[in-house]
Amino acid sequence: MNQVKISRKDLMSVESPGRYVGGEFGSVIKENVLEQLEKTGTCKEVRTAFCFPDVYEIGMSNLALQILYKCLNDMEECWCERVFSPWVDMDAVMRKSNIELYSMESKSPLKDFDVVAFTLGYEMCYTNVLQMLDLGKIPFRTKDRKENDPIVVCGGPCAYNIEPMADFFDLAMMGEGEELIVEVTKIIKKYKDEGKKDRKKLLVELSQLEGVYVPSLYEPVYEDGRYVGLNKLHESAPDTIRKRIIKDLDNVPYPTNPVIPNIRIIHDRAYLEIFRGCIRGCRFCQAGFIYRPVREKSSETLCRQGIEIEHNTGYDELGILSLSSSDYTGLKELTDGLLEAFEGRHTSLSLPSLRIDNFALDLMEKVSQTRKSGLTFAPEAGTQRLRDVINKGICEEDIMKSLSLAFAGGWSTVKLYFMLGLPTETMEDVEGIADLARKIEKLYFDVCREQGIKARRPEITVSTSMYIPKPFTPFQWEKQNTKEEFLQKQSHLRSLLKSKNIKYIWHDVETSLWESVLARGDRRLCDVIEDGYRKGCFYDAWDDHFKYDTWMETLTEHGLTWEMFAKGFDVDDEHLPWEHIDVGVNMSFFKKEREKAYREEITPPCRTKCSACGAQCFKVGECYAPK
Amino acid sequence: MLQNERSLEMTRQQHQTEYVVRCLFERVGVASFVGHLDLMHTFDRAIRRAEMPILYTQGYNPRPMMVFALPLGVGIDTLGDYVDISLSRVVDAEEFMEKVNNNLPRGVKLYGGINIDEPKNSLMSVVTTAMYRIKAPGVQDPMLRLFEKDEIKVEKKSKGKIVETDIRPLLLSKAQKMPEDKDICELYVCAGSVKNLRPDVLMSALCKYEGYDEDAAANAEVTRLSLFGGEYPKLLDIKELL
Ligand code: SF4
Ligand code: SF4
Repeated sequence: MNQVKISRKDLMSVESPGRYVGGEFGSVIKENVLEQLEKTGTCKEVRTAFCFPDVYEIGMSNLALQILYKCLNDMEECWCERVFSPWVDMDAVMRKSNIELYSMESKSPLKDFDVVAFTLGYEMCYTNVLQMLDLGKIPFRTKDRKENDPIVVCGGPCAYNIEPMADFFDLAMMGEGEELIVEVTKIIKKYKDEGKKDRKKLLVELSQLEGVYVPSLYEPVYEDGRYVGLNKLHESAPDTIRKRIIKDLDNVPYPTNPVIPNIRIIHDRAYLEIFRGCIRGCRFCQAGFIYRPVREKSSETLCRQGIEIEHNTGYDELGILSLSSSDYTGLKELTDGLLEAFEGRHTSLSLPSLRIDNFALDLMEKVSQTRKSGLTFAPEAGTQRLRDVINKGICEEDIMKSLSLAFAGGWSTVKLYFMLGLPTETMEDVEGIADLARKIEKLYFDVCREQGIKARRPEITVSTSMYIPKPFTPFQWEKQNTKEEFLQKQSHLRSLLKSKNIKYIWHDVETSLWESVLARGDRRLCDVIEDGYRKGCFYDAWDDHFKYDTWMETLTEHGLTWEMFAKGFDVDDEHLPWEHIDVGVNMSFFKKEREKAYREEITPPCRTKCSACGAQCFKVGECYAPK
Repeated sequence: MLQNERSLEMTRQQHQTEYVVRCLFERVGVASFVGHLDLMHTFDRAIRRAEMPILYTQGYNPRPMMVFALPLGVGIDTLGDYVDISLSRVVDAEEFMEKVNNNLPRGVKLYGGINIDEPKNSLMSVVTTAMYRIKAPGVQDPMLRLFEKDEIKVEKKSKGKIVETDIRPLLLSKAQKMPEDKDICELYVCAGSVKNLRPDVLMSALCKYEGYDEDAAANAEVTRLSLFGGEYPKLLDIKELL
């Protein structure tokens, strides 16, 4: 069997060698497969390399990785190992010493695997996919891969518009992967059993599975530089590909025995996912639509799993995970149950994405044994008008009411998240952000005076990010703000937020401009991405490594411009590069929502009233709950 | 339920005797490529997974009560390090080790544990000497020649400034029985919180004074064989230094 060897000197020359050695508690070594490999160099099982296109510390914090690692390793006919993107220093060492990319478990070269599976959580990781294929000596393009090359697949939120990366993946999996990845693996097992004869035939067979998109079975058509649709290249390729969801979350495998890293990672805690989807439907939010419909796990299952995970992992923190934890119907039972179980064990709960109300404040008091942490709000927009446009069901009165409670309870740190460049935004809306921050500052001192609390210096942080129109949202057709518009808004806000109690944090504009191209791009970008990578772009998600000028220059070299992608699409007579993908929510619903946005009308959350968005087609969850 | 049992135990019962477990441990292979803090976390989690009733410090930021004899650098194997772990009730050292060993990652293992009372001197303060084995091509002879020198000056970074120090006094002795294999050298050096010689510093001195190959030095396998208290040559067994 081939094993990649790295000298001690090479390993010790990089920052954090622990990233590259494996050996973690809970990592799976299938001895029976290893034995076959050692004896014969091959094995009957499907070998899958689960690749995370970012550093170890980020990859190991990813729940999808742990879930799918478990699903695959639970299969007798598969051994799944992990592979991460080597950091810049290790990348250089590997190229210099001619070391191939290898797996954490058996240290096998990437190209020895049957399946190479990427999870794509954010667009900016695309170049790292190429880095990993490159270091793994796997041909970049589907068309260049031979029968014995690994099948290169992907999944995750970015798979919904995989067009900018379509040439590099043999297939993309849409939606939740627990069941689909098992089905795909079984078909690949048959292909392997039969001696890997006909790769094309395999891909056609896989394309028949619901949720599988094989880009090479389609060809995009452009007219006058605009995308006008996909041509099928094979008669049995499906017209549309519908995402997969898990119907019964109580009975789906959950990693209660995850891999525990030996080194500290970004989110060094155990995770408990409490539900999928979001009842709210904020119009800018892709997650709010692609994960529809809302499906909850029962609080009994969660309590049981939470207790099990805390015991199995030894972590002293359990993170409650969802898009909006306050919307979980059994939150009280769950947190009461867990807090009771963890009493005296030095284990804390962390609950991000809570809406601040009495219950939440009470809970926050209970869960954090130490100092009062900060409060977080995401009004996203500065005025009620704009919040109505984006359907952010949070009004100033709500914020002020919760903050009065919090300030009276001794909190003094508030973080506020906003977006700049939302559709219909004017300078007045931008000024609204500053107004809100100043009102909160005043409120703090008012509350302290009324309650007779000794006022400290409140810490109010305003953070703005740049709005990026995303596929599968009512704003998927919108134009993005230009660099100048963004910068103007940022500097205006900066000049308005000069109080010593208010801190303003702004994000890099250029990254958002490029991310927007990738998010709504089409297959013409494949060449651009490969070229950019060849020019040295990778780790684009890290501001220090992101090379805006190189990207813009590369776009131009390919006869493309930022404007072509950023200007969006005409709602009535233009095609969207992702329109063959079906997430359940209908295009007509997105159009209606867009119109309502322009009329400044809100749409109630799923739980209040169903708007028949289309996701009822999955026949489960919130869509069928009594209202 | 396990959970509640442990939680009751995690509250300290005063005046217990023999509630500290003093264990030797080894760390070899891939596990050696993590830093000292990470190793402490690894132990902490393994002990929690084993449901052993480790005590926590009081106060603002409770920490598990675990004392290591000497920090272990990244990339260094050990066959004989010590750790003291305080528990809220007496658990037989054998049982403790068995349960925790089942929960440690590959390459890390406890052995030779004993139950003791809370030691009067912290484990960290009693360590004076370490024995290392260095394995690298032809390393033995040049290393032994270092012992013939009167002074060995190396540059060290201290508070941002580069200072020269003499590490010769920190080199104590070669092993009583040097291995026949010329690629291996075993030696005693000062170790501990007062005087300490790090193996990588020693290797760089070897390159500087003996012209030893830098690459070979970087690839050397360094293993800490054991730790001692007392004063060389009258070394004392750490197990007995309570
Ligand atoms: S509350 Fe709004 S922004 Fe948050 S996940 Fe739900 S839809 Fe998205
Ligand atoms: S069908 Fe109704 S309840 Fe279901 S996700 Fe759509 S709007 Fe919500």
